[in-house]
Amino acid sequence: MNNLKRAFLFNAIGSRPEKLLVKLPPELMDRYTHYFDVAFDRLGLNKDIEKNTGYDVKVAEWIVPLLTDRVVFEYYIEKGIIPDIGAGYSSGIVSISACFGSMRHEDAHDLMMSHRSMFRSLKEHGLKLDMGVIIGFSYDDLSELLNGHFTSDELMIGSGNSSFHVMICGKAEAVNKAIELALNEGAIKAFSMGTETAFHNPIIEAYSQEHMEVCRNIQYKDPKYPIISVFDHNIMTTAEEVKRENLLNITTPIRWDIALKKLEESGVKEFFDVSSNGAVHKFSRVSRKCKIYTLEDVFSGNI
Amino acid sequence: MREITPEIQNEIKEMIFDYYAEECEIDKSEITMETNPQEDLGSDSLMFVELIEMTSDKYELDIKLQSIGKYMLKASMDTMKDVVEMFYKVYQYGNDIVNQ
Repeated sequence: MNNLKRAFLFNAIGSRPEKLLVKLPPELMDRYTHYFDVAFDRLGLNKDIEKNTGYDVKVAEWIVPLLTDRVVFEYYIEKGIIPDIGAGYSSGIVSISACFGSMRHEDAHDLMMSHRSMFRSLKEHGLKLDMGVIIGFSYDDLSELLNGHFTSDELMIGSGNSSFHVMICGKAEAVNKAIELALNEGAIKAFSMGTETAFHNPIIEAYSQEHMEVCRNIQYKDPKYPIISVFDHNIMTTAEEVKRENLLNITTPIRWDIALKKLEESGVKEFFDVSSNGAVHKFSRVSRKCKIYTLEDVFSGNI
Repeated sequence: MREITPEIQNEIKEMIFDYYAEECEIDKSEITMETNPQEDLGSDSLMFVELIEMTSDKYELDIKLQSIGKYMLKASMDTMKDVVEMFYKVYQYGNDIVNQ
């Protein structure tokens, strides 16, 4: 595939709901509210997110980006901006699977809800995990720095995002040590995310059986548009391939930077950030001949 | 060390103020040298990295982010004055900013 021109990029969970909603124009907000009401009623979640109890607060927050992505995706399509291909970063894989028609939106919500059992299981086993972000190091530079300081059971690089943005994951103590090390060696910023889990690390597999079961039992369909894998960077066009990507998702490290490079090599020049707050645009880098457009760009006609 | 003229200093300062005004969606006239980029403008480290990349491109500088990170261990970036002065040093010293 070397005739691709336009790619849609889907972000992970992590942004606070209020930050996702503040950039939604009023007409999109109406649609968001409708999807929010339907989803939260079906899932039995309190619509005042903070009033949910236990891990419901966390998963309720994680449903929000799925809903805002759906609204932004539909808006782009209605504006005649049609993707040739797409990519999903972390839980963006779930989001793109739903928006590209490979699973139902309800399935995507159920996948998020299934993480509650992972948190319960981690707590029962007394395992303290975390994730962190290091800004100012490339994947290779950080690998070299961390090499020899940590075993793979303690810490892994969960994602190479760009030439200056890397995500780490593993045991909470190791994440904190790595952050201190990176700061001392010149990181512009390094911080723990306080996730209480370590997505993109195989360490969580044993605690995520319910999630894996839900993921396996979804009736996948071929996606309407191809999707590039952020794990092996193959182009996926079938239901089976999308299923595999979703099954790999939470326990496998990502190379987002390589996925974007491969898309460029396939001819993509226009990238569209499907997150409502332009988060993908902020941490991703493409070459000068390409551009990442945000909702704000599209809404203001700046494309 | 690269020579820095008052004209270049002014150009760098204006570039930084323009950048923060646009990124933080604030009127440039409201930004002063005493403004705190994080607390007053809501800027973040990704914006800061983008500004470094922009400056490197504009002035053809060879600067590693880690050199700036190490410099920042010694120098706070609490005000626009701190930021502007750091970029003067980046222009002048490049990666040797670590030793300034």
